[in-house]
Amino acid sequence: MSIVAVEVAERTGFRLRRAGNDRLLITAAIVLPCLALLIFFVFPLAMMLWRSLVADDGSIGFANYIALARTPGIIKATLNSLTLGLATTAICLVLGFVLAYTMTRTRVPGARIISGVLALPMLAPSLVLGLGLIFLLGRNGLISGMLGKRIDIYGFPGLLIADVLYALPQAVLILKAALAHADARYYDAAEVMGAGRWRQFFDITLPHVKFGLLSAGFVVFTVTITDFGNAAVIGGDYAVLATEIYNQVTGQMKFGIGAVVGLLLLAPTGLAVYIERVAAQRQFGGGSEGALPPQLSFVPARDVPLAIVTGLATFSVLAVIGVVIYASFMRLWPYRLTFTLKHYDITLSGGYAPLWTSLLVSVVAAGLGTFLLFALVYGIRRLPSWPAKIVYLVATMPVGVPGLVLGLSYIFAFNIAGSPLSVLYGSLLLLALCNFYHYHTQGFLTMVTGMRAVPPALEEAATCLGSGAGQVLANVIIPVMTPTLVSVFFFLFMRSMVTLSAVIFLVTPSLGIAAVSVMRLDEAGFVSQAAAFSTCIMAVVCAAALVMQLALKWLAVRGGRR
Amino acid sequence: MTLELDRLHKTFDDFIALDRVSLKVEGSEFVCLLGPSGCGKTTLLRIIAGLLTQDSGRLLLDGQDLSAVPARERGFGIVFQSYSLFPNMTVAENIGYGMRIRKVEHGRIAARVAELLELIKLPHLADRLPYQLSGGQQQRVALARAVAVDPRLILLDEPLSALDAKVRADLRVEIRELQRRLGIPTIMVTHDQEEAMVLSDRIVCMNAGRIEQVGKPQELYLRPATKFVADFMGSSNLLPTDWVRDAMPALLASRPDGADADYLACLRPEHVRLQPLASGEAKVVDVTFLGNISRTRVAWKGRELMVQTGPIDGVAPGAAVAVSADAAGCGWVRA
Repeated sequence: MSIVAVEVAERTGFRLRRAGNDRLLITAAIVLPCLALLIFFVFPLAMMLWRSLVADDGSIGFANYIALARTPGIIKATLNSLTLGLATTAICLVLGFVLAYTMTRTRVPGARIISGVLALPMLAPSLVLGLGLIFLLGRNGLISGMLGKRIDIYGFPGLLIADVLYALPQAVLILKAALAHADARYYDAAEVMGAGRWRQFFDITLPHVKFGLLSAGFVVFTVTITDFGNAAVIGGDYAVLATEIYNQVTGQMKFGIGAVVGLLLLAPTGLAVYIERVAAQRQFGGGSEGALPPQLSFVPARDVPLAIVTGLATFSVLAVIGVVIYASFMRLWPYRLTFTLKHYDITLSGGYAPLWTSLLVSVVAAGLGTFLLFALVYGIRRLPSWPAKIVYLVATMPVGVPGLVLGLSYIFAFNIAGSPLSVLYGSLLLLALCNFYHYHTQGFLTMVTGMRAVPPALEEAATCLGSGAGQVLANVIIPVMTPTLVSVFFFLFMRSMVTLSAVIFLVTPSLGIAAVSVMRLDEAGFVSQAAAFSTCIMAVVCAAALVMQLALKWLAVRGGRR
Repeated sequence: MTLELDRLHKTFDDFIALDRVSLKVEGSEFVCLLGPSGCGKTTLLRIIAGLLTQDSGRLLLDGQDLSAVPARERGFGIVFQSYSLFPNMTVAENIGYGMRIRKVEHGRIAARVAELLELIKLPHLADRLPYQLSGGQQQRVALARAVAVDPRLILLDEPLSALDAKVRADLRVEIRELQRRLGIPTIMVTHDQEEAMVLSDRIVCMNAGRIEQVGKPQELYLRPATKFVADFMGSSNLLPTDWVRDAMPALLASRPDGADADYLACLRPEHVRLQPLASGEAKVVDVTFLGNISRTRVAWKGRELMVQTGPIDGVAPGAAVAVSADAAGCGWVRA
């Protein structure tokens, strides 16, 4: 402490503690999360790239790439994945646009209910949709029974419907955001100039959301070609890349070929993420500040068909998820529809143990993740500009890596005999870390936005009053960021509860998780038990969502922010 | 207490924010750093607070160099334009924060907080949260928080700029009274010349990273040293020497020696008088009614003059008038 400060303290009688540990705190905040990001994100991907170049005989080269091309069925799986991805994307864009348009630009009632129903697929493992479709349209399906003829839902048609229902909510979210950025003045001007409704739609509405459409398209495509759950449950004989990569690695132990497929899957999603990012900047950078929302009016010729399509799509989502819950309580689907709880007595793969494991994994992923993300965002602010930019770039990269690929890469990084990191393999902690880094980007961006809301003047005021870095953190930054921390925690928790594609490679016979259990139960033919297990997962996730809403509301009331 | 700034220099990339600024603040005076945005006044305040470091030059408090002392150890109080109260703490907790950091015992904190709440006339709001207060109340709490730890120096960064005109005027008076009562030297940044004149013992008028003039409010207004100060502190008629020689030779008496282009006569509107006169050479251009006074523009000998007139003078646009100037009110500024 300097002479001046001592004098001040003596004169006033108010003693100030030494700054001391400020540097240590800030250094730790930078080093810890960056190191974790390197070990659990950069390193596994690098290892996968490396393994793709190492042939079975130990030589370095492109042998695996050639072997892949010669692997029977791989070309077919690739073509199937592409077909499925494109078909799903096309349907989701049209349907998603109709729904988003109906909710934002017409006076069709029930927008809140539609939003609520569309949130359901995101609160459940993706394969729940496949499961629901089997209950409705499968060999013993409700609708199949009513129609009195067998529908063959397994394979392409089932997979297509399941993927559409799974990806649709995400497309709607993006398109709603794009459509919400409208300015009534454009429409007023067009109206005055004599343009009809269709002209206005093609000349104003569509051009304004073209980046939103592009972005939604890529998200849907990515989600579809990398989804594992539905392909496993309802895919039947229709081989796709996601299941093929799983078979190559866990079935036939062809790690080199698995690495190559992983890299191939990285290409389209990486491109998608890049284009989406560019699109997002263009789309929302162009909106003017004082935009007037368009006046909504009721146009029967437009709104009635839109309402019918929207209603049908919403009902389909509700029906497919609802039937899973309903069927889980029915004695013998679909012949004896009497209430029973017997399917909740899970007989396979350790009963409910995987659910508790998932719960624990999710709590660890959420807790550790929230802590690391907070430290990272706090640390970045204290870095000079160019290192901060690099860290920012790496921290936003995981969104371009499908869960399937990340999970696969963890095998290459942590399942190596003799490596000190291999102690993690098969541990709950590694599952948690994998889930966290799978959703790192979304959590990171939320955290960055939250950190921007901390007023610099507040930090400076605290500093001038004598606070060290730790006190500024405890008294200024954390209180302001509490709602953000809560959101990030629950986001990571909920995603971690339902995700399957990343952890499918990391589960071991002794370490199962909930979503995998559903898949195993379904594979073993215990479809009703799979439904019961899914219902339990959804109950946990819905409860978490509810707790989050309540917590945020409570914080808002306490903090006086509406 | 003596705060001495010795050739402080600060650049942001290529932009010179402070150009070797030297200044001395002594005793318990209230000093305003006044200037347009971008003149370097806030940069200077932040360097004094320790929130920025200067590129070169020294900052001395009672002869000791402050450069190596971090902001948190300087023991200065600071109030920002945005209220910057801790949103999660009550009014009392906000005020007591600095003392809590210093591990003062609870009883003493409570007593001091009560005393300060009395001083800012908000004793009934001790348990409110910041969002439940008006802007003016929040700023008073911020002020109390800044003085709670008995700082050697108070720094105010445009503390009134975010407030309504009426609240601003009230708080202006309160800040002045509080500062006199506590006797703590204060440096305030503002771009509002009226605010600076009401509050300051001395005004430091800044422009483009340099100090244009330092002095009492009256000095700056009545005897501006530069064209910038004359322009910035209220409105004035700046008249070139050759025009004055022709139209108002009486003003030349106070003119310093120098070439014609070196100096301009600075004649405030209230030092010019109009006389309705049919044979007058000047013509009224327009009259702007401002309530207690009016501003009248007249055209005379190829220039337009700004004249302050009473509301009932009854000169209408187009009327012929005679113009006279109060030579004692005329100052000369460097062009």
